[in-house]
Amino acid sequence: MTTSLGEHFFRHEFGRLVATLSRRVGLRHLEAVEDAVQEALLAAVDSWPKTVVPDNPSAWLYRVAHNRFVGELRRQARRGALDELHAAAEPEADESAPELRLAGDVRDDLLRMLFVCCDEAIPIESQLALALKTLCGFDVREIAARLFTTEANVYKRLGRARSCLREPPLREADVTTDRLTTRLPVVQGVLYLLFTEGYLSVHAETAIRRELCDEARRLTTLLAEHPVSATPETFALLALMHLHTARMAARQDVAGGLVLLEDQDRSRWDQTLIHEGLHWLARSAAGATFSRFHAEAGIAAEHCVAPSFAETRWDRVIECYALLERVAPSPLHLLNRAVATAELHGPAQGLALLEGIDPPTWLSGSYMWSAVLADLHRRAGNDAVAESYRRTALETAPSASIREVLTRRLARAGARSR
Amino acid sequence: MPKFLCLQRSLPSGRDDAEKPSPAQMQAMYAKFNEWRETFQANLVDLGGRLGKGKVALPEPAPDGPLVEIKELVGGYMIVSATTLDEAIAVARACPGLVRPGSAVEVIEIQSPG
Repeated sequence: MTTSLGEHFFRHEFGRLVATLSRRVGLRHLEAVEDAVQEALLAAVDSWPKTVVPDNPSAWLYRVAHNRFVGELRRQARRGALDELHAAAEPEADESAPELRLAGDVRDDLLRMLFVCCDEAIPIESQLALALKTLCGFDVREIAARLFTTEANVYKRLGRARSCLREPPLREADVTTDRLTTRLPVVQGVLYLLFTEGYLSVHAETAIRRELCDEARRLTTLLAEHPVSATPETFALLALMHLHTARMAARQDVAGGLVLLEDQDRSRWDQTLIHEGLHWLARSAAGATFSRFHAEAGIAAEHCVAPSFAETRWDRVIECYALLERVAPSPLHLLNRAVATAELHGPAQGLALLEGIDPPTWLSGSYMWSAVLADLHRRAGNDAVAESYRRTALETAPSASIREVLTRRLARAGARSR
Repeated sequence: MPKFLCLQRSLPSGRDDAEKPSPAQMQAMYAKFNEWRETFQANLVDLGGRLGKGKVALPEPAPDGPLVEIKELVGGYMIVSATTLDEAIAVARACPGLVRPGSAVEVIEIQSPG
C-alpha cells in the first residue's frame, strides 16, 4: 500500500482546492469553501491510511470538499438562504468527470486566485495575508509567525481582504484578460514581497524563511508558465528568486548566525538553482523592458558566478546598481553602489558617492547606513568617525545575529584597509 | 492471538477540539499515523473506521429505562490482536490522536469459542 504524499501535499492541495472550488461556486463563498476544503483534507487524513490513497487524490478531495460545501449550503438553505443554494449548486450539473477538469485547469485556477488576492481594492498587507491563507494553505497562527505579527492582526487583515472581495460589483467578474495584464505588476509586487519576507526577515527561523521563499518561487513559476503573465519582468523576478535562494544555506553558520557574502563557503551554493536562475535571467532579456527585477537579478547573478569575493565583477555590479537607482530610485541602492565602488576603486571613492547625500531618516537611522559608513571610514583611515558610526550601527542592529555579525565585521575593517 | 475491539469514545467532560488543524499539521498527523501503522503492523487486524448514526433495535415491548444515543459516545472502532489486554491497550494508546483530552479508547477482548 503506498501512502507517501508530497512534502507539502496538504498545504498545496488546500490552495488548489480553494482556487478551483471558489471559482466554481463564487468568491462570495470563500470562507465556506475554505471550511469545506479543510474538512475534506481531514477526511483524507482519517481514511487514506486506513484504506488506500485514491489513484487521483486531487479528484477525491475535490469531490469530498464539494459535497461538504453543498451540504453546508443546504443546511443554510433550510435556514432561509435558498437562492444561494441554487446559485452555487447549478454549475455542478455538468460535472461528470472532475478528474479531467482538475488535470487541465488547476493551474489556471491557482493563477486566477493569485490575481484575486492582488485586487487593487485590498490593502497590500491584506493581499499578502490572503495569498498565504488561500494559496499557500497556512493558517492564521502560521501566517502570524511568518509575517512576524499577531494572530489578531492576521485576522484583521484577512477580514479586510474578504470584505473587499464581497463588495459589489462582484470582484470575480473583474478577472478578465485585460485585468490580468494591468494587475500583473501588483501580483509581481506581492510575490516579491512574499519572497523578501522570507529572504530578508531578521526574525523568523531558517526553515520558516526558506519555506516562504519556496512558496514565492512556486507561485512565480505559475506566472512564468502562463501566456498572460509570462513577461520579461516575471522571468527576471523568478531569476532573482532562484539566484538568492541558491545562496541561502551558506548565509548561515551552524549556530544560525549570519555569514557575510565575502566569508561564505561558495561550494555550499546550490548550483542547480543558480543554473535555473541564469536560465530565467537569459529569458528575461527578451524584449525592450528593463525592470528593477532585471537589475536585482543581474546583481545576484554576478555574485553567483564570481569564483570568489575578490574576483567579483564589481564593475558590472556597480552598473546594475546604477540601473536599479534609475528604475527604482532609493538611497539604499546608492548605498549598495558605494559598497561595490569601494571594492573596485577603494573606500575613498565609495565615500565620495555618499557625500552630499541627505539620507531619509528610515535609512540614516538604520544599522545599514551606519555600518557601511563605519566600514568605509575605517578602511579610509578615519578612525574617529568610523568608531562613532560603529557604535550607532551596533545600537540600531535589529537582531542579535545582525549585531553579532556587525561586531565581527566592523572590528576587522581596519585590517582590510587599502 | 486474542483479538480486541477498540472503541473510540468521546468524553463528555472533554472539550471538543477547538482548534482545527492546519494543512501543515494534517501533513504531520498523516505521517504520524502511518508511522504508528507500520510499527504495529502485526497487531492491526482491522483499522475500522468512524461510526455514524445508529439506532438500537429493541425487542417488543421496549423495556423501560434510558437508552443511550450510540453516536454521541462511540466515534470509531478498530480491531487489534495482542497477547494480553495490556498489550492491546498499549497499541491503541500509541495511536496518534486517539487518547487525548476529550477522547478515550475502550479496549474489549473478543472471546473466541473454546
